[in-house]
Amino acid sequence: MQMENSNPNTPVTPSTPSTPSVPTTPSTPSASCGTNAGSLPGCCAPLAFPYVPMQSTNPVRFGRMEALQTGTLFPGLDLPFKAAIQAKTKLANTALVELMALDFAIDELGLYLVTHAQDQEALQLYWSYIKLANEGREKYQKMYGPLLQTDLTPEDGYIWLKDPWPWDEGGND
Amino acid sequence: MFVYEKKLQYPVKIKNTNPKLASIIITQYGGPDGELGASLRYLSQRYSMPYPELKALLTDIGTEELGHLEMIGTIVHQLTRNLTEEQIKTGGFDTYFVDRTAGVYPTSASGFPWSAASMAVKGDLIADLTEDLAAEQKARATYDNILRLSDDPDVNDAIKFLRAREVVHFQRFGEGLRLAKDKMDEKNVYFLNPSFDQ
Repeated sequence: MQMENSNPNTPVTPSTPSTPSVPTTPSTPSASCGTNAGSLPGCCAPLAFPYVPMQSTNPVRFGRMEALQTGTLFPGLDLPFKAAIQAKTKLANTALVELMALDFAIDELGLYLVTHAQDQEALQLYWSYIKLANEGREKYQKMYGPLLQTDLTPEDGYIWLKDPWPWDEGGND
Repeated sequence: MFVYEKKLQYPVKIKNTNPKLASIIITQYGGPDGELGASLRYLSQRYSMPYPELKALLTDIGTEELGHLEMIGTIVHQLTRNLTEEQIKTGGFDTYFVDRTAGVYPTSASGFPWSAASMAVKGDLIADLTEDLAAEQKARATYDNILRLSDDPDVNDAIKFLRAREVVHFQRFGEGLRLAKDKMDEKNVYFLNPSFDQ
């Protein structure tokens, strides 16, 4: 797995080892369960209630481009189907894809924080990605036009109408 | 309220027209375990959720599913671009074409139009979140089946992304259920319905 560290603005990934760890006993605190395992409520959980283990806090993360290509920011949740195991697609390094990668990391961290609101490191990372995405969004809009109908762009006229739309040919170039 | 952003969540760039594959993938637009049902299920269930974590989960995941609906619509649209007369007659697309031409309509692959009967809102958090766990697994299994049926790498690239999201959402719904349990009656989670009883 490739961790992101080339860009000084890039948030750092935690130092947790990337090798899959053996699932530990359910009573272990969530932080020590490793990448591919999580905690259950003690060794004797109440009957008649379904349990999904809580993901460990500060989990190992992919870099943002690999996260977009994988469909998750978290190696522990990367569980592909056999018919889909092939080389990960190399996404073109365009302004659009870079913005998609930032927005995806934000969405994924935001969702993680819903159930892990106390994870301060993830929260810091979340805000630093938002800052990067705001800068990326401004750059993108200057080159390609508005993403929101209300975006201010340097071109004259009502640029919102400009083709291509996201579903059109060339809409994802 | 909702604000539209003029970009997809993940790029969809399909080079080759393939109406037969479109007639299969349309099922994730309007089929029983598709993205339209997913978004409406979560965005409707959220009103009766008693805890902020659950309101957020259903709002955020329901909103992301609307983005997935747009990706599936884009795949179907791009697979049915510039169809030749030969292509509309063959390849199993004719029964769709006769009613919709190359428009994108919420239907299952078998032709059954999208139905609210394919989703549920129970107004009970354990029932609703357990349904959501199953819904994510059914969508994941549908994407597995699409990957079995499709050999177009451009399509599979986007489908793999969508499938991976189902696994992550399953995890988060499970965690949401667990967090909710900590707030419910310690001895008997079924003692009352915190979505309704005070």
